[in-house]
Amino acid sequence: MAFQVHQPETVEEAIRLAGEFGPDAGFLAGGTDLIIQINRKRCAPRHLIALGGIDGLSGIELHTHEIALGALTTHKTIEQSPIFEGPLAALTEAACVVGGHQIRNVATIGGNVVNASPAADLLPPLLALDASVVLVGGRGTRRLSIAEFLRGPGITDRSDDELLVSLALARPPRRAATAFIKTGRRRAMEIAIVCVATLLELDDAGSCRTVRIALGAVGPTAMRMPEAEHALLGCEPTQAALREAGRIAAACCAPISDVRASADYRRMLVQALVPRALARCLQRIEVSRQ
Amino acid sequence: MKLSNQFAVVGHRLPRLDAPAKVTGSQIYGTDVMLPGMLHGKLFRSPVPHALIRRLDVRPALAIDGVRAVITAADIPGTRYGPAVKDMPVLATDRVRYVGEPLTAVAAVTAEIAERAAAAIEAEFDPLPTAFDPETALAEGAPVLHPDWAGYAALPMLARDANVASHSRIQHGDVETAFAACFKVYAHCFSTPVVHAGYTEPRAATARWEGDGALTVWTNGQLPYEVQATLADILQMPVSRIRVLVPGIGGGFGGKLRIGLEHYAALLARAAGRPVKLIATCEEELTAAHPRQASLITLRTGVSRDGTLLAKQARVVMDCGAYAGSGPGTAAVALQIVAGPYRTPNLLLDGLAVYTNKLPTGSFRATAGPMGNFAVESQMDIIADDLGIDPLELRLHNIVRDGDTGPAGEPLSAVSVEECLRKAAQAIGWDKRRPGPGRGKGIACGWWMTTGGSSGVYVKLNADGTATLGSGAVELGTGALTGACQVLAEELGLPLASVRLAPVDTDGVPYDYGAQGSRTAFSVGNAARAAAASLRQRIAAFAAERFGVAPERVSLEDGHAVAGEHRISIAEVARLIQLSSGGLIAQGTFINPPPPHDAARVMNHPLPAWTTPSFHAHAAEVSVDTETGEMTVERYVVAQDVGFAINPTGIEGQIEGGVAQGLGQALSEELVFYEGRVVNATLTDYKMPTAMDVPPIESILVECASQAGPFGAKGVGEPPCIEPLATIANAVAAATGVRIFSAPLTPEKVLRAIAQSEFPLG
Amino acid sequence: MNKLPLLLRINGEMHDVLVEQYWSLLHVLRDVLGLTGTKENCLEAECGVCTVLLDGKAVNSCILLAVQCRGRDILTVEGLGRPGNLHKLQQAFIDYGAAQCGYCTPGMLLVAKSWLDEHPGVVPEPDAVREAIAGTLCRCTGYQKIVDAICSAAARVQEPG
Repeated sequence: MAFQVHQPETVEEAIRLAGEFGPDAGFLAGGTDLIIQINRKRCAPRHLIALGGIDGLSGIELHTHEIALGALTTHKTIEQSPIFEGPLAALTEAACVVGGHQIRNVATIGGNVVNASPAADLLPPLLALDASVVLVGGRGTRRLSIAEFLRGPGITDRSDDELLVSLALARPPRRAATAFIKTGRRRAMEIAIVCVATLLELDDAGSCRTVRIALGAVGPTAMRMPEAEHALLGCEPTQAALREAGRIAAACCAPISDVRASADYRRMLVQALVPRALARCLQRIEVSRQ
Repeated sequence: MKLSNQFAVVGHRLPRLDAPAKVTGSQIYGTDVMLPGMLHGKLFRSPVPHALIRRLDVRPALAIDGVRAVITAADIPGTRYGPAVKDMPVLATDRVRYVGEPLTAVAAVTAEIAERAAAAIEAEFDPLPTAFDPETALAEGAPVLHPDWAGYAALPMLARDANVASHSRIQHGDVETAFAACFKVYAHCFSTPVVHAGYTEPRAATARWEGDGALTVWTNGQLPYEVQATLADILQMPVSRIRVLVPGIGGGFGGKLRIGLEHYAALLARAAGRPVKLIATCEEELTAAHPRQASLITLRTGVSRDGTLLAKQARVVMDCGAYAGSGPGTAAVALQIVAGPYRTPNLLLDGLAVYTNKLPTGSFRATAGPMGNFAVESQMDIIADDLGIDPLELRLHNIVRDGDTGPAGEPLSAVSVEECLRKAAQAIGWDKRRPGPGRGKGIACGWWMTTGGSSGVYVKLNADGTATLGSGAVELGTGALTGACQVLAEELGLPLASVRLAPVDTDGVPYDYGAQGSRTAFSVGNAARAAAASLRQRIAAFAAERFGVAPERVSLEDGHAVAGEHRISIAEVARLIQLSSGGLIAQGTFINPPPPHDAARVMNHPLPAWTTPSFHAHAAEVSVDTETGEMTVERYVVAQDVGFAINPTGIEGQIEGGVAQGLGQALSEELVFYEGRVVNATLTDYKMPTAMDVPPIESILVECASQAGPFGAKGVGEPPCIEPLATIANAVAAATGVRIFSAPLTPEKVLRAIAQSEFPLG
Repeated sequence: MNKLPLLLRINGEMHDVLVEQYWSLLHVLRDVLGLTGTKENCLEAECGVCTVLLDGKAVNSCILLAVQCRGRDILTVEGLGRPGNLHKLQQAFIDYGAAQCGYCTPGMLLVAKSWLDEHPGVVPEPDAVREAIAGTLCRCTGYQKIVDAICSAAARVQEPG
């Protein structure tokens, strides 16, 4: 359990250390996943590269076409940021149900993304918002979509010497809204049994111009449901159409049975919650028009 | 009996005596104890559920730098211990019987080194056939977990046989004949899982051997005198050479009744020649503590057309795990619980405690209460709905009343079930049982004992006019000791602020049966009253002589001895007597003898007749999301007969906390096993209620005074966690039309039941 | 591995300690500095009894490395108030019977304080308080009197100390 802690002050220094120690090192952000995994003996890095001393890795910036979030932005900052009110509500709704305040004060969005738990709460909203991640490493900077970044349970496309420095979300279009729903056995401090994030954009005729449905805890990673999205695209969002999207999503997801819930129950939840989240998007679009 | 508000101290919402220490962080708990030169202990535990130990090699542990002692069964006397059956070894001898059974204890200079050393120990096992549930353990040809069971010492009344650690029975009349004559017989089976007491402070023990060979142990256990006796047994020493101190406890709920780590601390400290401290990890608390038994209850009840209970037959099977622990007692008192506070002329109730290859079990708050009450109160609702009778009316029709007898034929007095039921029903708005789609209300009632056992105290008057109460009962968190001090203060005419508690130290304070079974304020309070009576007499005699009046004319008021115009402060009396004759100190003792019962009704039952029972009713309104199965407890009401509310704030706190535990057991808590191994041994996946999961709870304190309790009080602490499971199950059934027969009622179970039901509501 | 010297500011006082790099702040507080008011239980950030304030924000000290706290302000329950000079939250906990076994009390007090400090002048609804304390488990009280005490404290003016 013994490890050394390095406290670089620049991204370059952090990457250099990561390159030097390779798989023997881990980046330490809030520690709410990593330290617990070390304590539970799931991993045993000999070197931790603490990121807290590096300037410029946290904070939320509004640009013309996109919103940039520093990887070290805490869940609390996201929860409290007015930038995510309105159409981007799903991100706030997800951020504010991760753990309790003690966790959210230190846990970072970057850490949540890199940890890539299949049940992570922030991932479905990021998928629904078509977010990208920016990585800086020994071979330079690269940007990829979050869907490409997530590879499997706890597995991402990041190499050992790459640091996730920021995420980017497209600013939502005019008649769009998002929603996030999480279920569990209790109301707080919960790892999702199923979580759902949806984005809906309507065209001037009131049909679905953009549909994004992202699920968590029902597959090896958080994932989009293209078949369900396709079924709704171009359609009028009637109750029947939403229910059909839910039915398809339930059929296409790949949940497992574990100590928290059975696969069957997870499918039942997907079938119920996808229409519910989409309906919430519709309500929010309606409200924002007034 | 006077009403609560007619007294000066008792009956008042006074802040508890230990609150200032607790809010400033200065209260010391068992986990906080630190001694110079202290080593840290860890246990090497069995990774397999049932096996002979082929090889145990501790040399790799001894070789690690910083390790100071390693102990196996070979190094210690082969004592077996246990509260009902002495079947448990300190360290496994020839075999292991559950995943987590300790094989070796290690002490080292840091906890980290001790942990590494424990992990380095090599062990090889020859697997034995397993029995992971009572059904398997009771089947023909099942492996016998304790081949030497017949030779174990045990409580004399227990009936034991191979994997049956005990079998108790209560019977009366002739159930088969009665069933044949009933209008209808209902038969159902209910099951509940293992649940953890969930105290937030893990078990801890620190031991130090003194220069003269005596032992000092600091623990956060609930029963210092029992720990002392068990240590004496294990270490083969006289009790007087073992001193047990309890600085403070972060919750117990019955999970800290029995010896936990104290013996390992003592043995390691002796081997190492230095003090040793052990703290249980969270994982150890979830895999090797003293949780509530899993239960399987089959209940057959026969009724007449108008809902009169005519006969009841029950088979209660408690899964006590690999060692009997508190299984026998729990299986026995389950019988009174399934009988319920109801008149039933024919009874045949059997309670079995069965060995399985899982962790041993304890006496978590109200032991068999939640399990038995789930069965009997769920079935009452099923019967009511089937007969077209309102569930409240069905209960009122059958409940016991003053002068009735209990299941063992014991006389019942101060019976208040009706009042509790009516008050709970009114508060929840029972006339609208199904207020809307997916919404329903449930009600459940029950009873429980105020555990007996003796208490001794001393009360010392100090020269400043304060009184010190010395009791071997620990303050668990319930506030019971503050309650006992309120009783003492009332009896001496002092304000509560003038009463202090002596530290719990078996060298210094008298014997107490312990902070358990809802008995503490009751029993210690009564012992304090006895001591106070003696002190009042002596103060009066002293003052009378000074005043030149007859002692009967002296009364105690406001910290003074008064007779007409004569007045002397108690402080002055104490000071003068201290100078003249060693001071004012009195002993008080109390024991609540059980009521008589009909011995013919009872077989092999350690607790056939309950002392000073309490009665209670809970009601809840639940809404169910019929698409996800998620339940929301919208409102929760408790009407509990407390006899006399010594401190209403303290009692409400016990009710609110007990209901929260009950709701956890109803909705989210279970230890999940796979082949004898706990698979959710973290607080991530053992789900206790957070502040967002517990609704506001309305407490109605019913005061139906007891004969034996101080100022008419009854035991308070355990009952609140008995009824929530049945109450929620009944409310969910009212809301959805579906009935769940196993706890916890998870959203998954509810949704599946709704999906499978032909006629769901809402 | 050699221990590192570390300067920590705890309850306004500087403490000069030697630490292993992998030690948690909780371990340093309790076992090195003897400040046992901060409690230990799950050691996995699931129960909240180890809560301290780091630069005014509630954090679980069991998963925070001591070395990450260099140059930051740490507040433990020992720094919240003393007999005769209690914080209004502490007084409210006494008045409302919000502490039973008291083991979660330090953590509860500090998370409550951070919430009140983040929402100055706000008297919260009980539901908002429940959400604020959801990361700290209490097994004794059912939370009700804790919520009542925090709401009451929010409405009180802090006595100057």
